[in-house]
Amino acid sequence: MAEHYPTLMQTAVAATALKILLWPAYKSTDFEVHRNWLAITHSLPLKEWYYETTSEWTLDYPPFFAYFEWLMSQAAVFADTAMLQVKNLDYDSWQTVHFQRATVMITESVLIYALYLFIQSSPAASKKQSHAAALSILLSPGLLIIDHIHFQYNGFLYGVLILSIVLARKPSGLLASGVAFAALLCLKHIYLYLAPAYFVYLLRTYCLGPRSIFDIRLANCIKLGVAIGIVAALAFGPFVYYGQMPQVLSRLFPFSRGLCHAYWAPNVWAMYSFSDRVLIYAAPYLKLPVNYDAVNSVTRGLVGDTSFAVLPNITPRMTFVLTLAAQIPALAKLFFQPTWDNFVATLTLCGYASFLFGWHVHEKAILLVIIPFSLLALKDRRYLGAFRPLAVSGHVSLFPLLFTAMEFPVKVVYTILWLIVFLLAFERLAPASEKPRVFLLDRFSLLYIAVAIPLIAYCSLVHQLLFGARFEFLPLMFISSYSAVGVVGSWIGFLVVFFTS
Amino acid sequence: MAPPTASSHRPRKKRKPDASNGTITLNNTTKQEQPAFPLVAFFWPARTANLSQWITIPIILMVVFLFRWCTSLWPYSGYQKPPMHGDFEAQRHWMELTIHLPMTHWYFHNLEWWGLDYPPLTAYHSWMLGQIGHLVNPSWFALYQSQGIDDANLKVFMRATVIASEYLVYIPAAVLCVRQLAKLHNVNAWESSVALTAILMQPATILIDHGHFQYNTVMLGFMLATTASMLAGRPLWSCIFFVATLGFKQMALFYAPAVAAYLAGICLFPRLDIPRLFGIAIITLVSFGALFLPLLLGTAFDTYRSVPLPTDAVLPPPLMSALPSTVSEKAWYYPYLIQLTQSIHRIFPFARGLFEDKVANLWCALHTSGVHKLHNYDATVLSRAALALTLTAILPPCLLIFLKPRKDLLPYALATTAWAFFLCSYQVHEKNVLLPLLPMTLLLATESGLKAATRAWVGYANTLACWTMFPLLVRDELRIPYFVLTGLRTYLMGLPPCSISAYTVSAEEGGLSLVSKLIHLSTYAGMVAWHFAEAFVPAPAEKPDLWVVANVCLGAGGFGVCYLWCLWRLVEESGVLSDLGITKKKRMDEKKMQ
Repeated sequence: MAEHYPTLMQTAVAATALKILLWPAYKSTDFEVHRNWLAITHSLPLKEWYYETTSEWTLDYPPFFAYFEWLMSQAAVFADTAMLQVKNLDYDSWQTVHFQRATVMITESVLIYALYLFIQSSPAASKKQSHAAALSILLSPGLLIIDHIHFQYNGFLYGVLILSIVLARKPSGLLASGVAFAALLCLKHIYLYLAPAYFVYLLRTYCLGPRSIFDIRLANCIKLGVAIGIVAALAFGPFVYYGQMPQVLSRLFPFSRGLCHAYWAPNVWAMYSFSDRVLIYAAPYLKLPVNYDAVNSVTRGLVGDTSFAVLPNITPRMTFVLTLAAQIPALAKLFFQPTWDNFVATLTLCGYASFLFGWHVHEKAILLVIIPFSLLALKDRRYLGAFRPLAVSGHVSLFPLLFTAMEFPVKVVYTILWLIVFLLAFERLAPASEKPRVFLLDRFSLLYIAVAIPLIAYCSLVHQLLFGARFEFLPLMFISSYSAVGVVGSWIGFLVVFFTS
Repeated sequence: MAPPTASSHRPRKKRKPDASNGTITLNNTTKQEQPAFPLVAFFWPARTANLSQWITIPIILMVVFLFRWCTSLWPYSGYQKPPMHGDFEAQRHWMELTIHLPMTHWYFHNLEWWGLDYPPLTAYHSWMLGQIGHLVNPSWFALYQSQGIDDANLKVFMRATVIASEYLVYIPAAVLCVRQLAKLHNVNAWESSVALTAILMQPATILIDHGHFQYNTVMLGFMLATTASMLAGRPLWSCIFFVATLGFKQMALFYAPAVAAYLAGICLFPRLDIPRLFGIAIITLVSFGALFLPLLLGTAFDTYRSVPLPTDAVLPPPLMSALPSTVSEKAWYYPYLIQLTQSIHRIFPFARGLFEDKVANLWCALHTSGVHKLHNYDATVLSRAALALTLTAILPPCLLIFLKPRKDLLPYALATTAWAFFLCSYQVHEKNVLLPLLPMTLLLATESGLKAATRAWVGYANTLACWTMFPLLVRDELRIPYFVLTGLRTYLMGLPPCSISAYTVSAEEGGLSLVSKLIHLSTYAGMVAWHFAEAFVPAPAEKPDLWVVANVCLGAGGFGVCYLWCLWRLVEESGVLSDLGITKKKRMDEKKMQ
């Protein structure tokens, strides 16, 4: 069997070199968040972890992530013990920076391993495509920007997710896949958004017989239940024992936050807020009532309550219902046709639904859509057509995360490079579809990609030349609205492709 | 490897698609083609897809841009290191002094605080960047008030100027030069792209320009343009570019004898070409005139405004007093002569020592290793000895390129001459190793350039050069970029310490001879051992510089070997041995010492 070049390892080596060079780059408060968690888990007994409030960045990830931090803190002792003191707020000696940056890269090897398994497990006919998709995930500008500059551990977490997805490819791996996903949920609960797809897929392929849905395989049900129970017990057991579950849960699900995150994530609510802004000026002509208290609050979009001036306010319950409603059609299709491809497509659609309609969505959550979609993007040209606007908008929407001058060329050049290389490669590799393509969608994506260039130029340069520091929300709003159009467009495209194939 | 023929004309032969320039090997078990080293693997998709250069070149430029820019995130020389700071401060200071002072003061301004001691093109370049910077933020370049400032945005600006200068000069010149070499040696476009990437990923250049902070790539870029023009058969253009090279940094003199010998050679051989000779002479003179013209115009303007020279100016400049006849202060040309002599006096500081700091050349190695202490000698004796030795060392390559002015010999001649200067001449910095490295690295783009032998030699010189600069890079806190960039480069090229695949190829298949293998592998072992020793074993108290001295000695030895190799290859490729009947024609490549 011919090897495909460059191999995963070769790419990983080259990417690692670039990532090490990024060590002194800008790092967000997430760096301090994770340093604080290292300190908490290292210096405090377990029962105080979820009560500690010296830093404003309290521990708000599930217990496995806390254990993960504890594990890393054991090694951190050798780098610099000062970083492990809870009181050392905003401590960033070079040893600390190098240590924490290195842990991101080392734990990312889970992703490399998962991608390796993904290539191995794909059928010979599509190995080349899988290889390209794997490289695109490994080199994703999203991971570079969020993990290696901004600072988070998404490479590791998405590694576990892909591992779980790949395990689900073979019937023998279904149990392991469920366990891996349960563990992932105990690492970071944002993946709960994907849980419905797992639930339906495992129910249908593992707990029920292949022929009839009334053929319940009891042994499998018990195995899966026990396995997931053990994972949950390992994670939450100690906190149940100390009677801290209400506190833990209140940390994990802070519903006091606002509808939109500090930077608007490019979702339906961004478009909603944008419409509201526009309507403020149109309201007098349309004779709509305006809530003047809200007029001055939305543009800043700061963490906190968001209220709308013209349009009705949104409650968490409404977003929850909308998210679920958007997921149900895909879940239904998965239930009746439980193939692995449909499973990945449903995961992608669950990601889309949560990103588009969720409460307090971070722009970083776009990876929840891009990464599962990447696994499918090369299925045929129709999928690729829907993937293209997502690849552009999803990554452009991450640009506001980095606002320092030094990092500006890195994010822009890297993203453009990635888009050129992978969209060209995908273009050549994606097989033709049996079904006719949606003509409009193709034209849409071309036009959409073309608009990105003047937009980035305006937001990064022209705006500052024209207005200086005034209206600084404007570029953010443009990027967010532009990206929202792309994400929604690709969502609609994907829905069409998924339900017509 | 095709046998080198004596004639300068090489018949064009159409390559078979599978005939490779050293990029492709056959897997022994599966009999399938595979990349010979990891860098090729990254170009594999482009090979099958037959991508156009309009796509591959922008992609290469973006990739090398990212590595350069990410290197510039790290500290620069002299960052928060009072009192003198470093090269960053020097370049910033030149920008402020050129934009704030009258032109007649440029070469007279306080030498103690990084006085301007580079040729005029650098001064104009600084002036231009200073003007742009002044528009962005005047406080960065406020004369006397901004000494040693380390504003974060200033760093972004300065780093951006290095990269912009490089992308305007070095990169286009490199693309053109590689294209000319490909045309000359019949290398296909895909393999040229591999070679271009390998050339642009030279770690030494990236570390010095984007880490340490200098504008070497402008000078090296002009040199590449010179070479490209020579290869393209446009000697007059090459004169202009070479004057620009010299006008940017006087260190380009390392190349001058070879350039002059080649240009003289093409006027005399195969037949005397008087118009060309005159053309070259006139264009060179005119270019020098153009180089100094702005300075002279500025002087005219200042004379017209009667701007006095700085009060602390030493008049007349030493060089002028050395003129045979004294010049009256009343003469109309007096101020111009002062400017010219003063600038030359600044550019060539004859009063400085034989070598500066610790540099891996002959003199420093001889002195510091304790074989022979040199400080007992008089400076004039030493400088004469250096001059004599340098002349001896450059004579063979220059004579050869003069007698056989062939394009394919140019990189060898330039590299040999530059190595000779680096090893033997007066007043050499460790950073000057970039000069011989450039033509040597260009060999990658020639025929068989990516085969194990040439790849290993070019990689050897590059790795060794970076390694000799390690003490300098440590002072700049660039240890990690050093390891990353050299490591990446050796990995990509499939060379030690990452891989020894290039050393398993036998000499018949384009590999190295046993002697070369031994030299290389022992040097690599020495470098690795040195890194461990330097990191974990403290130097003994009575010899605090032990590791630096070890570095200098091994480095000088390795560079000496590089000089000999370049010279040998030049002799061999020129076919002079067969002309003299020392070896039999056409068969000599069998006995070749790679």
